[in-house]
Amino acid sequence: MFRFEMESRKAQYTRLRECSIFVGTWNVNGQPPPPSLSTWLSCDPEPPILYAIGFQELDLSKEAFLFSDSPREAEWERAVVTSTHPGAKYRTLALIRLVGIQLIVLIQTDHYGFVKDVAYDTCGTGILGKMGNKGGVAIRIRLYDTTLCFVNSHLAAHQDEVQRRNQDFRDITDRINFRKPPQTIKEHDQVYWLGDLNYRLDRLTHEEVKRLLILKEMPNILRYDQLGMEQSSGRVFEGYTENEITFQPTYKYDLNTDKFDSSEKARAPAWCDRILYRGKGMHQMVYRSHMEYRMSDHKPVSALFRSEIAVIDETKQKKVQEEVFKLMDKLENEILPQVTVDQTEVLFGLVKFKEPVAREIIVANTGQVPVEFNFVKKINEESYCKEWLRITPNCGSIEPGEKCDIRFEVNLEQHLGKFDDILVLHLENGKDIFISVSGDCLRSCFTTSIAVLCRCSLPILLMSPEQLRLAESQQSLVLYSVPRELWLMVDYLYRNGLKNKDLFESTALHDDIIKIRDWLDNGSLNPILDNVSAVAECLLLFLQHTKDPVVPYYQTDKCAMCANFAMCQSMVLQLPDLHRNVFLYICMFLKELLKHSTENGTDVKMLATIFGNIMLRNPKDKKDRPQVARGKVTFLQFFLDNDISGLIMPKQ
Amino acid sequence: MISLTYKFTVVMADCPHTIGVEFGTRIIEVCGQKIKLQIWDTAGQERFRAVTRSYYRGAAGALMVYDITRRSTYNHLSSWLTDTRNLTNPSTVIFLIGNKCDLEGQRDVTYEEAKQFAEENGLMFVEASAKTGSNVEDAFLETATRIYQSIQDGRLDLNAAESGVQHKPSQPGRNLSNDLHQKDNCPC
Repeated sequence: MFRFEMESRKAQYTRLRECSIFVGTWNVNGQPPPPSLSTWLSCDPEPPILYAIGFQELDLSKEAFLFSDSPREAEWERAVVTSTHPGAKYRTLALIRLVGIQLIVLIQTDHYGFVKDVAYDTCGTGILGKMGNKGGVAIRIRLYDTTLCFVNSHLAAHQDEVQRRNQDFRDITDRINFRKPPQTIKEHDQVYWLGDLNYRLDRLTHEEVKRLLILKEMPNILRYDQLGMEQSSGRVFEGYTENEITFQPTYKYDLNTDKFDSSEKARAPAWCDRILYRGKGMHQMVYRSHMEYRMSDHKPVSALFRSEIAVIDETKQKKVQEEVFKLMDKLENEILPQVTVDQTEVLFGLVKFKEPVAREIIVANTGQVPVEFNFVKKINEESYCKEWLRITPNCGSIEPGEKCDIRFEVNLEQHLGKFDDILVLHLENGKDIFISVSGDCLRSCFTTSIAVLCRCSLPILLMSPEQLRLAESQQSLVLYSVPRELWLMVDYLYRNGLKNKDLFESTALHDDIIKIRDWLDNGSLNPILDNVSAVAECLLLFLQHTKDPVVPYYQTDKCAMCANFAMCQSMVLQLPDLHRNVFLYICMFLKELLKHSTENGTDVKMLATIFGNIMLRNPKDKKDRPQVARGKVTFLQFFLDNDISGLIMPKQ
Repeated sequence: MISLTYKFTVVMADCPHTIGVEFGTRIIEVCGQKIKLQIWDTAGQERFRAVTRSYYRGAAGALMVYDITRRSTYNHLSSWLTDTRNLTNPSTVIFLIGNKCDLEGQRDVTYEEAKQFAEENGLMFVEASAKTGSNVEDAFLETATRIYQSIQDGRLDLNAAESGVQHKPSQPGRNLSNDLHQKDNCPC
């Protein structure tokens, strides 16, 4: 994209400079060079900036065909170099030869420093389709900031080989490869194609050509030029231009004369030697032959071009480059996913135990592309949010212009005081948004420790901060042997629930649970909600969520391994006093329940299973091995099956 | 066309505006080489400090920005610098930028003082103005050039994980690929 944008702005930072380019071609019929080529190469008043001179049949010896060396190469190079325009000094940029096909490119020394990327390649199309007796050679250069490609080719000979010549052209076009961009001939800004293309005249006999030449009826001869016909019907040299030919055919002459072939074969004259071009800003000034060279059966041909060569202004280029960078930055940043979030601070206010609170944020896709979002983990954290928060959805996609509601639900099962979290909302391939979540946890007896509750003179929400602080630091007196709230629930069940069927097995309404929680936490002059199953469920919840479990975590496994009642008793004696009180208090209550098992449907196994797992509970993330789970039930079962009155001690 | 991508982390000390991490890209030229900067502009508020830490990882360059008219932002620098040093690799180029140098009249932190802090901690330092654009460009360029030099003289190993430099243009993501190659000779 950068290249494309720079290319399309080229006019803004380049100026065009006119450069004269001299292109020549000559089939030299294996002859050594004459003393000078000046009347060919230096016939124009002004020295050209660049020469591209091609020869064909430079060396017809077998050696040249079989081996790559040829003494002729250097001889002709010297002939060219010494015949350049006296008005300037030249330097050879490149010389390439394939058997007899040689191309040499020279440049004025003043401009030598502005040539880059010089490369060449050859392509044989002769015997077996690849030998070098026919084919092409090419040199390409970057002159200032325009790429130029010069091709010298010698295409298949003979009157009837038109298709073969077309094929040779295509082969050269396809097979020449400079290995670095621009790689192929066609990719260059300007292409100069010269050579003995070998196209003949159709239909006209030797005599007819001569007669028309004398009558100066050039157009009537050129009508039958094979190259002209093939090109106009699109079979060869597509996109190339050739200027009008005003000189007489360059082939075939008797050696050392200006007379057309007088041998027995009497080949009809033809314009075998041609120069074509393709590209922008190329202006051919002249197109001519040089009759005075008589040593070959061909005459040299030359063309002078005034070509527009782009020269980059580096200061302007830098400026344009910066603009392009800015544009690219803009485009790239515009297609980045963009969203707006209606709030980045989600406040939950007071949240109560077991009463989930939800908030929604709206994420709107304000960008130009679909957005994929997800919440990602922060460094050193296991999940993308704390365990008391649930985010739905936690990932998804939003189309441009669309919105997505994301729901945050806080459900507190432990006392957190002030709670907060920072969530990272990540956009795939884009930015991250931090969302703060915070709130206050309302205290509840359900999530307070047994030791604190036993020191509370009032329902927990009526306690002053100072009273609470004293209770929590265990500096105040123990007022109750079991938490008052526990007693309230058990007492109610004792009075109303002993004969209730399916006690602890039916589910209560959530609203009723909330009412009982508030009644316990706030205190009231009214009696407790008269709903046995709700109170029973609250009792279970209470035992399940007390800040410390009834049997401390570190003693759970030992209790579960007790093999007899004596061991169980000794474990219970090791519990903290208040915890032991709660444990035995619950056991006494359960034993009372069992007395009415016919009415309430309970049995030892069932109660031991329910309460064993609650009073000997695990930390949140720990799962029991099966024998531990069974051991907990067995532990409680011992207390339900045996007399425990000896364990009950008077309140201290 | 862009063969190198640098990850840059920008932190603006105590800046109330960024809530999260803004992501953007920029192309600049260093020694004739086009380089794409992936810029992670992180929230500089103290409360986000624990979260923004993860964005320092794998940064080739870090720009720490304070406000010359608010001393509190300058005072936060040493804690941000600690994070930057701890979480980036030793070759990460850290640039200290005193922003809002256009508000000379409200200056609360002297140039000399910040310069000294930078020297003591081996940081590059410049005062700039995001508003007028003065020196901001230079800070980016200078940082990118230093990184480029680190690569050239081998101090920054492109093959190391979290070098913050990618050989190919890439999409931002939390995991930068380690698919890097030593690049060709430097034209500078």
